[in-house]
Amino acid sequence: MDNENKDTMNETEVRQESAASAPEAAPAPAAQSAGSAQGPAPKLPIEKLSARQLLELDACTRCGECSNWCPAYDQDGREPLTPRGRATQFRDIIRRQYGAFSAESFLGRLLGKKQVTSQELSDFAKDLYACSTCMQCHFVCPVAIDTVELWERIRECIVDTGFGPLPTQQDLVLKTKNYDNPWGQPRSSRARWGKVAKKKKRINEVPKDISKDKAEVLYFVGCTASYDTNVEEVGINTVNIFEEAGVDYGILGNKEKCCGSVLLRMGDAASFKRICTENIEQFNALGIKTLVTSCAGCLKTIKEDYARHGKLNFEIKHTLEYVIDLIKAGRLKLTQPLNMKVTYHDPCHLGRHAGIFDAPRELLALIPGIEFVEMERNRENSRCCGAGGGLKSGYPDMQNQISQKRVADALATGATELVSACPFCYQGLQIGIQAMDAPIKMRDITELVCMAMGLAPATHDDTQDTDE
Amino acid sequence: MEETRMYLYFEATAALYTATVIAVLLCFAGIFTTLALWRKGKAKSLHHKLNSAAVARSFITDVVFQAQILKISFVRWLMHFCIFIGFMGLLAQTSLMAFISHFTSPGSFLAQSFFHGGGARVLDVWGDVFGLTMLFGLAIAIIRRYVVKAKQLETITKDTTSLVLLTAIGLTGFLCEAFRLMDPQYADVAWYSFAGMALSQLLQSAGITSANYIVWVWVHAVISFIFIALIPSSKAWHIFVSPIEIVLDASERA
Repeated sequence: MDNENKDTMNETEVRQESAASAPEAAPAPAAQSAGSAQGPAPKLPIEKLSARQLLELDACTRCGECSNWCPAYDQDGREPLTPRGRATQFRDIIRRQYGAFSAESFLGRLLGKKQVTSQELSDFAKDLYACSTCMQCHFVCPVAIDTVELWERIRECIVDTGFGPLPTQQDLVLKTKNYDNPWGQPRSSRARWGKVAKKKKRINEVPKDISKDKAEVLYFVGCTASYDTNVEEVGINTVNIFEEAGVDYGILGNKEKCCGSVLLRMGDAASFKRICTENIEQFNALGIKTLVTSCAGCLKTIKEDYARHGKLNFEIKHTLEYVIDLIKAGRLKLTQPLNMKVTYHDPCHLGRHAGIFDAPRELLALIPGIEFVEMERNRENSRCCGAGGGLKSGYPDMQNQISQKRVADALATGATELVSACPFCYQGLQIGIQAMDAPIKMRDITELVCMAMGLAPATHDDTQDTDE
Repeated sequence: MEETRMYLYFEATAALYTATVIAVLLCFAGIFTTLALWRKGKAKSLHHKLNSAAVARSFITDVVFQAQILKISFVRWLMHFCIFIGFMGLLAQTSLMAFISHFTSPGSFLAQSFFHGGGARVLDVWGDVFGLTMLFGLAIAIIRRYVVKAKQLETITKDTTSLVLLTAIGLTGFLCEAFRLMDPQYADVAWYSFAGMALSQLLQSAGITSANYIVWVWVHAVISFIFIALIPSSKAWHIFVSPIEIVLDASERA
C-alpha cells in the first residue's frame, strides 16, 4: 500500500493496520545469506569500528559475568548468544579475514586456516541480533567493555555486507526509512491521536503545532505513543499535565519524525545519520528552550547519539524530570492520595544508557499514598523487558519470555501496579502481563501523576487487547 | 671462553640469551600484528576529552584493586587479585634481577647486595611470597573451572593453556628453589626461602636429593619463554589490554 492511499484511510483502518503491521507480529526466520552459504564471506568493513573497539575484543577476559545477566542467554542458553560469545566469534572472524594468520596470508595458508564462509557470517548475524542492547553486560563487565556501542558498530559491518538485519527486522528498518516511523503508518496520521483524544474529550485542546506557533517546550511524542493505540495514554496524560501546569509547549504533529533509534540499533548508520541531521536542523530552528519526551529510547538517542552528529541548542529532558521541575516550581500539586502498592521498572535507555535512576523514584515519592516497593533487580541491574534493540521484531517468542520474567519480578514484590517511563517498555511488559494473565496493572508514570493531580487519567484497558 | 653474567643463583649462558631473544621477538611480533589489526579501525575511539583524574582514579580502584570484581564476588576477586599481584611481583623480581645483572657493574652496591648480600635475601622472601600468592590464586581458578565447574565459565583451549603455563611456571620455580636449597652452601640462609625450603625438605624426605638445579632452571625458563612468546595471542594478553579499556571507559563516563 502506498503512502498516499494510507493517508486516506479512516481512523479505524489506520489503527487496525497499526496492530497488524506491528513489527513483533512475525516470527524470526533464518538470517539471509549473501552468496553461496559455504563460499567465502565478503570481508567485513572493520574500518567502521574504532581501534578501541577492536582492542575491546582482546580485553574480554572471558570471565562470563555477562552470561549471568544477559536476558537473551537466560532464555536461549546458547554460548554464542552471550556477549562473551559474540566477542569471541567476531574476534575469530576478523582475525581470519585480516590477521597475520588470515586465510589469505602465507602463514595462514601454511597453517591451513579456513576462510570465513557466508554461512558462518549468517549464523553470527543471527546471534548478534538476538540482543536487546539493554547494556546490562557493560555494567557487570569487570573490564567495563562498552558493549552496546560495540554491537551497534558490528551490526553496521553486518548490514554493509548484506547479512543484517534479520528479515523480520528489515521490515522495521524499511518502514522507518520510508514512513519516518517503524510502524509503517502514514506521516499524515502521526498527530491523529490528539484529534481523537479531543473528540473523545480525553484532552481539552489539541496540542498546538510548534512549527506554526512558537513555544518554549517541544513535546516530542515519539512513534510508539503517536501510533500505537495501546500506548496513546502516555501522550494524552502528558498533554493534560502540561495544560494543567500552564506549560508553554507544542508538538511537531505530522512533521515529527522518528528519532532514528531503530535505525541506529539495527546497524543502518547511514539512514540514521540522514534522519538525525534532519531532526537536528528542525529542532534547532524551533528556538525552543527544552525538548521533552516520554520515550526513554528517544531521550537516549537525541541526548547522546545526536550530540555526536551536531550541536543542539536546547536542553533535553524526560517527561518525569520535567514534571519534577514543575512540582518544585510550585506549578503542579500532587494532592490526591493514591492507595496503591507500586513497583518501578527502569527502562534500559533511561537508566543504564542515560543514567536516570533517581528521578523516577523521586517523583513516585512525591505522590501521596503510594507504597513503593523495589524489585529485586533494579537500577543498574534492572532486568530488561526485551523489547529493544530489534529483539522484539527478530525474536518475538524470546521477548515474550523475557517480559514474563520481568513481570514475575514485579509480582514477587506484591505490587498491584507496574510503573515505567517508556512507551516501548510499556508495550513490551504488556506482552508479559497478558501472556501470564498477571494480576498487575501496567501504567506509565504520567498516569499516576494525573491521578495524583486529581485529573481523570487516560488509562489503557487491558481486557480490550486481543491482537497480541 | 663463553662470557656469562650472574643471575641470582646461576650464570646466564648464550643459550639462555638466545632463547630469551626468540621468546621476546615472537612476543613483539604478536604485539605488532595485533596493533596493526587495531589500527584498521578508523572510527573515533573517544567521544570526550581524556579525563586524567578519572583515569587515575579508575586505575587505582579498578585496575590495581579490582573493585569491580570485588563488588561481584569476594572469591573471584581473591582469585584474580592473587594471580595478578603474584604475576606482577614475580615479573618485578625477574626484571630487577635482569636490570642489575646487565646494567650495573659486578662490584657495584646493587650487584653486591642483590647477588651476595641482604638484597638477595629480600628477593628470596619476595619470590616465595609472590609465587605462593600466584599459585593460591591459580588453585582457586583451577578449582572453579574444572572441579566446581562454575556455570558462567566456558572453557576453550586458550583458557586452559594460560592456566597450565602459569601454574607450571609457579611450580617449577619452587622446584628450582627446592633443589638449589639442597646445596649445603645455602644452609644458613635457606629459611628466607621459606616455601622453597619446606618443599626441599619434603623432597628430601621422599628420597629425592640429587636433582640437577640447572636442569630445573632450564625447565622453568623454557616454560616461561613459551608463556612470553604466546602473550599477545593468549589469555595473558588481557593483563595488558584490559586496564586500557577500564581507564578509557572511566574517562568517557566521567
